Amino acid sequence: MSASPPDSNSIELPLPVRSASALSSARPDLESEVISLFDQLRTPLLRYVLSIGMRVQEAEEIVQDVFLSLYRHVRIGRSRSNLRGWLFRVAHNLALKQRESSRRQLGSVAGSDDMAERRSDPAPDPEEQMVRSERRKRLLAVLHALPEQDRACLYLRAEGLRYREIAGVLDISLGSVSTSLTRSLARLHRADRATGA
Amino acid sequence: MTIEDPHPSDQEMLLTADGEISPRRAAGIRAHLAGCWACRARMAELETTIRDFIELHQSRLDPLLPAAAGPRALLKAHLAEPAAGDRRESPLRLFPLSFARTVAVCLSAAVLAAGAAMLLTRSSWYRRESAAIPVARLTPGATRTATRADVCRSEPDQRARLIPASVRQKVFESYGLPHARPDAYEVDYLITPELGGSDDIRNLWPEPYSSTVWNAHVKDALEDRLHEMVCDGTLDLRTAQHDIASNWIAAYKKYFHADKPIAR
Repeated sequence: MSASPPDSNSIELPLPVRSASALSSARPDLESEVISLFDQLRTPLLRYVLSIGMRVQEAEEIVQDVFLSLYRHVRIGRSRSNLRGWLFRVAHNLALKQRESSRRQLGSVAGSDDMAERRSDPAPDPEEQMVRSERRKRLLAVLHALPEQDRACLYLRAEGLRYREIAGVLDISLGSVSTSLTRSLARLHRADRATGA
Repeated sequence: MTIEDPHPSDQEMLLTADGEISPRRAAGIRAHLAGCWACRARMAELETTIRDFIELHQSRLDPLLPAAAGPRALLKAHLAEPAAGDRRESPLRLFPLSFARTVAVCLSAAVLAAGAAMLLTRSSWYRRESAAIPVARLTPGATRTATRADVCRSEPDQRARLIPASVRQKVFESYGLPHARPDAYEVDYLITPELGGSDDIRNLWPEPYSSTVWNAHVKDALEDRLHEMVCDGTLDLRTAQHDIASNWIAAYKKYFHADKPIAR
C-alpha cells in the first residue's frame, strides 16, 4: 500500500545549523529552544515512557536525560529535522535499556524491585483497581495481551506521532506500522463487542 | 459511487482517517464512503474504537503525571551548568577523541542507537556521581546569622536534626523527584548547621545513598574537619561556608589534600 505521510506535524527548529565558532554565544538560544520543546513534548514523552512500563520516577529521569541529550545533539550541530521523532526514539531506547539493566540486576542480586509490577503496564494505581466499567476492563485486557511492538505503535500514535515517525522510533517499516495499528484496533473493537453490551 | 469500487479494507480506512494515504486514493475512499452506508458505519466504529482507547489511555496515565514545574526547573538548571552540553560528564571521554569521531562519522546510521546507549551510561553515572553535588541553582546554600563563637560554643549535636516531612517533600519536588523513595535519598544540608547553615530549602538537597564514593559519610568527615579548623582559628567561617557550598567534593580534596576520600 502507498502510505505517504504528510510531514506537517513534525517539529523542526526554525534556526539554521550554526557554525562551531558561534556555538558559545548561541547557548542561551539553544537553551530556550530546548526548554520550549520540553514544554511542548514533556507530557507526551512521559506518558509514552510510562505506558511502556516504566515507573513514574524512572520515566521522569529518562525524560530529563532525553532533553539533556537533545541539547548536546543540537549544540554540536546535528540534524534538526524531525526532532519529535528523535526525542521519542531516544526515550524509547533509554526505556528499553533501563528495563534490560534492571532485569539483569535482578538476575544476579535478589533485588527489592518487584519485576511483575515493572513489566505489567504502569504502576497499579488505585484508579486502575476500581476500574468502573466492564468495558474498560476488557479493553485493558486486550491491551495487555497485545505484542509489545503493537502496543508501542498504538501508544506512539496516541501521542500524535505520524506513521513515518513511529517507523523511525521502532525501526520498522511504514507498512508494519499500518498493519500493526489496524490489527490492534480490530482487536480492541472485538473486545468491545465481546459481550454485545 | 461506482459499481466497480470495492469496499475499502480496514487498513485503508485507518490510513484514510489518519491522513496517511495518497490524496488520490483518499478521495476515492471518501467517495465510496459517501455512497456506502455499511462502510460509513465501519468507519464510525473505527473512530469509536480509537476514541475509547485514547480515553482509557489518558485517563489511566494522566493522574500519574507529576507537575512539570519541578522537572522544568531542574532541566533549566542543568542546561545552565557550564558542562551541560559537554562531554565532561560522558563516559565517552574514556575513549580517545579521534576514536569517538571516527565512530560518529563512519557509523552515522548507528549514531542514534549508540548515542542512546552512551546516554544511558552517562545518565546512570550522572545519577551516581554528579548527584553527589547539588544543582547550584536549586541549592546554592544558605546560612543563618552565626559567628565563629556561636558555631564553636556548642558541642556538635551528633546530627540529630530532623527535617520535617513537608520540607523534605518540597526538596524532592524542586528536584523533580516528587515520587522519590525516601529510603533512596537523604535530604542533607549543604552547609551543615554546625557551620552556620540554615534550614532554608536553598540549603537542602536530596543526596542519593547510591553515591558510592562521594557519599554522605565522606561529607560528614569534611564537615567535622572544617568545624575543627574554624574553631581552632586556622580557617575563616565564611571561607568554610563558601567552600563547602560551592563544591564540597573540591573542598574535601583541598582540606584533606587527597583526591579520593580517605578511609576512616
